[in-house]
Amino acid sequence: MKRPSFFRIFMNTGAWLVLAFLILPMLVVIPVSLTDTSYLAMPKEALSLRHYENYFSDARWLDATWQSFYIGVLTALSATVLGTVFSIGCWFLSSRASTIARWVLITPILVPPVVQSLGFYRFWVQLGLIDTVTGVVLAHTLLALPYVSISVFAALANLDRKIPQAARSLGASVPQTVWAVVVPAARPGILTGAVFAFIVSFDEIVGVLFITVRKVQTLPKMIWQGIQDNIDPTIAAVATLLVLATLVLMLAGSLRKT
Amino acid sequence: MSEMPIQPLLHVREATKRYGEVRALDGVSLEIGDGEFLTLLGPSGSGKTTLLTAIAGFTELDAGSLTLGGTEITQMPPDKRDFGMVFQGYALFPTMTVAKNIAFPLKIRKWSRADIDRRVKECLALVQMEDYAERMPSQLSGGQQQRVALARALSFHPKVLLLDEPLSALDKKLRADLQWELKDLHRKIGVTFIYVTHDQEEALSMSDRIVILESGRIQQIGEPDELYAHPRTSFVADFLGKSNFFEVTVRGAGAGQVTCTAGEVEMQVQQRNGAAAPAAGRTARVALRPERVRLGPCGSERFSGTIRQHSYLGERSQVIVENEALGRVLVSCPTWKSQVELRQGQPISFGWDDDAPILLDDA
Repeated sequence: MKRPSFFRIFMNTGAWLVLAFLILPMLVVIPVSLTDTSYLAMPKEALSLRHYENYFSDARWLDATWQSFYIGVLTALSATVLGTVFSIGCWFLSSRASTIARWVLITPILVPPVVQSLGFYRFWVQLGLIDTVTGVVLAHTLLALPYVSISVFAALANLDRKIPQAARSLGASVPQTVWAVVVPAARPGILTGAVFAFIVSFDEIVGVLFITVRKVQTLPKMIWQGIQDNIDPTIAAVATLLVLATLVLMLAGSLRKT
Repeated sequence: MSEMPIQPLLHVREATKRYGEVRALDGVSLEIGDGEFLTLLGPSGSGKTTLLTAIAGFTELDAGSLTLGGTEITQMPPDKRDFGMVFQGYALFPTMTVAKNIAFPLKIRKWSRADIDRRVKECLALVQMEDYAERMPSQLSGGQQQRVALARALSFHPKVLLLDEPLSALDKKLRADLQWELKDLHRKIGVTFIYVTHDQEEALSMSDRIVILESGRIQQIGEPDELYAHPRTSFVADFLGKSNFFEVTVRGAGAGQVTCTAGEVEMQVQQRNGAAAPAAGRTARVALRPERVRLGPCGSERFSGTIRQHSYLGERSQVIVENEALGRVLVSCPTWKSQVELRQGQPISFGWDDDAPILLDDA
């Protein structure tokens, strides 16, 4: 057997180190969540599930989870509908103006979240949307729109322009054409966009901190406040649960593919 | 074979379309007969596809009009025209099965379930694709996709079938087979076909009439044999088949025959039917088909020359013969009855019948 070269060893070690750097901080929360202490720390004498118990019995945590979930779903719905309509429209026009419109829609990704949140705050005050679910959904929809439009555009890039023409020549009106041949072609992009929109909303915190007070409590906001106020290890339990949920979803996804 | 269409179905009047400075269509007027197989033939950029998409309703004309059986359709959206269209690259709906593709126009027209099922079966049988109803388009070969596209475009009994280079993506052998089939299909269903191609063989073999377009203008319209035998311009003479061209001076005319001189050489030249006799002394251009030139052993024909180049093509040989007065002449002769050995530098004799050279309109 050939001895691995120095370069190979160097590269392999590097790769593993980077991987560890990426994953270890995430894994640290698992032992912490099982701690028997009442503050954030490694388990001292025994492993305990009491912080999980606390999460599942505390109405505030459950409410926040539920609120995050349905804000996420509403955001995904509205961003997906708007983003899809926008992208299909631009695809049909394919003019200079539509290219500019696409760039404008993508700017929320480029603007620093704090700046944007400040904008939301100023504007939402005038509209009376501060501390309302509508206000949060609206802000999250704006943040999620670029992701939806990018993924729908990517799906439509492969669509032969002659296909809608064929539908028209076969007697379909413009709405019928969109529904029968353009939307099915965009479907993978629409689904990806919806998932992205949900995720963007589910873990968004900066905007929520600016535009909510007490009535709207999302999960990220609860975690943030938990760290600030009392270093409650329930945070670690929640984090572990989220990591687990993500893992389950990813496994299910890769199993479906194979 | 129809002459001028007995019953015109579609009228194109003065159709004009500009893209910036380029005139894709420049005052094109055309009558298309009911049940006719009409081919729009031209090189790329000639405006043939623009004309077809204007008829389909996808290209808005800057000027001019379209009428279908007396009804103006210039402004009518494509889905209301009831024209079937077969696209280059087929444009089948990738998310639908073959049967669903064919049923699509029928569903749009709100046919009953039973009628749709029956018609889809009929159409599949028409293009011999009965066994493929439940396949997805991506599982079919190019030729099969072509058939499905054809069945889909015909399923709703369109008034006109528009075909945009439908065979261009197929290999040569399959193309030849499908040419026979298309012609057969046209005869069987009797629908008007408007066919766009840049392939002259396709045009010659299938069409009732051919429209030759160049730079957005119609160069000549006619039946295939008429166009081939009597091209009006050098463009037509060279695009449909090949031609040798001679610049000549007219000496005298009578009874469809014109006497001309090309330099020192005097020759008899054919005139198109109905063309006015040219004035003596006028300069003109004459086309001569390579296959009308005969080659023979030295002294057997009128002109003598030397073989400059030859290429063997199987059934035919192409030979370039050089003569002092006429310059280089392209000859295409059948290989099986060649009486002379074709070798570069070989002296040879060549000539043609008096009805072979054709007088062209453009000088």
